[in-house]
Amino acid sequence: MPILPGLTYTLSSLAYAAAIGLLSMGLTLTYLTTKIPNFAHATIGMIGSVVMLILIDRIFYDSNSWLIFLLGPIAGGAAAAAFGVLMYRAILKPLADRGNSVIGLMIATLAVDIILLNILTLILNLMPGEHIPKLIGANVVGFQPKIRVAGIVVDSYTIVLPITALVLTTLFHLFLTRTSFGVAMRATIENPDLASAMGVNVSLVYTVSWALSGFLAGAAGALMAFAFKGVDPAVSALVIVTVFAGSIVGGLTSVYWGLIGGIVVGLAEKLGTTIINNLYRTLLVPGLGLPNISLVNYEKVMSLGLVIMVLLYAPQGLAGVDWGRILRKIKSVKGGR
Amino acid sequence: MVNWWIFSDSFLITVLAYIVVSISLNLEAGFTGVPNFGKHLFVFLGAFAAQGIGVRIAAWLYQALSPEAARQALAEAGRLVPGAHWASIVEAAADTGANRIIVNNYLRPFVTENLVVEVALLAIVLGVTILLAMVFGLLASYAALRLREEYLAILLLSFSELMVMVIFYQTESLNGGNKGLWAITFTKNPIRFALAGSAVLAALAFLYAERLANSPMGRAMRAVRDDEIAASVFGRDIASIRLKAIIAASVLAALAGFFYTQNNASATAITFNRVVWTFLPWAMIILGGMANNMGAVVGTIVFLIGKRLFEYYQEPIGELLHIQAELVGSMLPNILIGVLILVILYVRPQGIIPEHISKTVEFNKLAGEVLGEESAEKDAKHPQET
Amino acid sequence: MSTVIKAEKVNAGYGRFHIIFDVDVEVKKGEILVVVGPNGSGKSTLLKTMFGLTRIYSGRILFEGRDITREPPHVRAKRGIAYLPQTGNIFAELSVRENLKMACYGLEQSIAEERIREVLEFFPFLKYKLSNKAKTLSGGQRQLLAMAMALVRRPKLLMFDEPTAGLAPKAAKEVVEKILWLREDLGKTIIWVEQNAKLALEKGDNALLMVSGRVAYHGSARELLADRELGRRYLGVKG
Repeated sequence: MPILPGLTYTLSSLAYAAAIGLLSMGLTLTYLTTKIPNFAHATIGMIGSVVMLILIDRIFYDSNSWLIFLLGPIAGGAAAAAFGVLMYRAILKPLADRGNSVIGLMIATLAVDIILLNILTLILNLMPGEHIPKLIGANVVGFQPKIRVAGIVVDSYTIVLPITALVLTTLFHLFLTRTSFGVAMRATIENPDLASAMGVNVSLVYTVSWALSGFLAGAAGALMAFAFKGVDPAVSALVIVTVFAGSIVGGLTSVYWGLIGGIVVGLAEKLGTTIINNLYRTLLVPGLGLPNISLVNYEKVMSLGLVIMVLLYAPQGLAGVDWGRILRKIKSVKGGR
Repeated sequence: MVNWWIFSDSFLITVLAYIVVSISLNLEAGFTGVPNFGKHLFVFLGAFAAQGIGVRIAAWLYQALSPEAARQALAEAGRLVPGAHWASIVEAAADTGANRIIVNNYLRPFVTENLVVEVALLAIVLGVTILLAMVFGLLASYAALRLREEYLAILLLSFSELMVMVIFYQTESLNGGNKGLWAITFTKNPIRFALAGSAVLAALAFLYAERLANSPMGRAMRAVRDDEIAASVFGRDIASIRLKAIIAASVLAALAGFFYTQNNASATAITFNRVVWTFLPWAMIILGGMANNMGAVVGTIVFLIGKRLFEYYQEPIGELLHIQAELVGSMLPNILIGVLILVILYVRPQGIIPEHISKTVEFNKLAGEVLGEESAEKDAKHPQET
Repeated sequence: MSTVIKAEKVNAGYGRFHIIFDVDVEVKKGEILVVVGPNGSGKSTLLKTMFGLTRIYSGRILFEGRDITREPPHVRAKRGIAYLPQTGNIFAELSVRENLKMACYGLEQSIAEERIREVLEFFPFLKYKLSNKAKTLSGGQRQLLAMAMALVRRPKLLMFDEPTAGLAPKAAKEVVEKILWLREDLGKTIIWVEQNAKLALEKGDNALLMVSGRVAYHGSARELLADRELGRRYLGVKG
């Protein structure tokens, strides 16, 4: 058994990591602005998956068009963004204004999660499919354009998802640094009082942050529809754990580190678990006579392990690590040789 | 008219189990401010003690005391191998293929027919439940003493979710995984046993929590929750207070899970998920009013009776709304519960019965006023904050 | 000289914490009013009250003759009042350029650019730091950046809350010089809360001595400095 996973698996791992990165980035954003950890975030991403499934059923069922990779994330992202705004303005903000604590608001996001999850499941159950007979649990893997990499046919979403993540992150970065509203958003995150004293409509900034967070989640979710063996909103229950792990590893202090944390955790879950499993079965099982079981089902243990390590050794997450010092250390070690 | 039989023994046991879990959650969240979003793991530990661990210990005792009968059990389960020893029946008893026959046909009669064995085994299983709960409680408190509220909530939710969904649900050799296991039950009428046991547990939990709430320690706990500085002014050892509260709460939750499993006689990890045993208890204590034991009890009862009535009437409701019954059965109630929580949070953030001021000492009132001032001061400083 | 800001029998505090009592104060155009007093005497609360960050129980505040008692802070900012708190007066994570842009938030692009160019002439060192994050500036430089940000809005009245606190003597001197320059060259009106009473009283025109939330003295700064009794009792001025 080779230690390193094959090309298709590596690509799908990268895609998964990119999606988790986008979700962790959005989660970190709303946490930074409104200080609410959103347990419904992964289910908001599932809105994207559901939109993608419906688009395929109604429009793209036989076209194999690359257009789906443009339209799907935009439509899914827009729907999720709309839900994010609704959730903040119609539920969380009124609850916060009524004097609920952070814990109360967290319960509220859990409640929204349950409501949204069941509504999405109801929609997929009740809506008649036009070309896909049964929408709930439908497998859409076959509906993506064919593409070859190094002579192997691969799922094209695995190529598109990392590119989409790159594009969205770049756009988001430009928004935060080049537009005055984006700068105002960063200013509000740091000091809402001072920002409002300078005329920033803080409430609007918060609302927009929920829209952006929703869009990132919905776009990731739309493309992830191709990764699930069958589109079922219930998978969000486990995805949310990974997304939170990514955000905590990132440190919950910077959206960029949220992205990186998500990617790290996503890669650890997929590539990390597979490599460890391969090592275990090729070296330890014959060598030490350990039970010959597959470890790949335990991928979530990787995210838990990373979270625990971060909490023990770097409570501020990757963002709080003094990278400059580490780099200098590495350099000095190299120089010493 | 409602048929009263819908409030059966099994419903009563469910209510009692939830009362214990709500009181335990209230100990953590209401009094010490430890937001345990991973309650389902602690409840599952009690179930695990009765199935994954309980059947193994019972099988081991069975082999040790009556090896002949144990051979017969293995034979009926199709697991008889030449030279069968205790390891094979312990293994078979917790194996999904042989578990049902061995537990139902052999281990349960074995346990209930010999009072000494029964009492000893009950003591061992309860001991294991308490020990497991204490170990995980210690782990949780290790994090609780070091992390901010939201961080802690996220961590406890993720940790419990991973333990239940990955370790217990996916590892068949541990506790039957996604197939679940039949559990060891006690007495010839395990339902009566579960009813009596959970009633006693609920009463003890309530008395304990009430005594704690009105004791100096209880007041200190609330001080910890409201303001760590205020608590340190008391000179209390915050760490030890939180530790005690978390461990007591963990043990209570696990014992509730144990008696609940006695009623079902079996357990599967996935039925102990975060909606059923974390979110619902939160919903109940929010409904009843945080930091208030009576509120937790009332909230639990009101919530579960409402839920039961809805389940009872779901078919006519479904017909009324022209929706298939199976959709009403699972999804609509969930949506309604979610909406209900949001409405409660909006209308009465303090619940049905608000937190009452401790009767014994005037200080709390005083502290409440001072803390109120401080929050008012914050408001005054940040009138812009929305 | 016309009156810029005036407080009449103001009682204010936070929630039910009554902090300042029956305060009367008047500041004329182009004047530096130095506010001194022991710790906890309500100096900072007075500034916050002028900017609308406290609860006013009674009395009124007039700015250029207009009653602004009930106006929220951002409206007061628009009227031409700038408030520079002791800390948190800049965005540390933003670059200097972004800080200045934030100060122009809501202004038209062309006007904003012109205003920024204008204040950069006043604070030339900032020109070389435009791309640096504000948190890399020294304490004194941060106070000057906060001043520059306030000036972008062309305020009529600037209120400083202990601008020299925690600064090295040299940096403190620079900040004080800039405050004096604001008055001399730009004709701004200034309220200056200062812990270092001697330093401020030497530079200021008028002084307000607060003791336990009440006005103990309101008059010429030099006279207060010369008053040995008050100086020894409340300000730690030797003599």
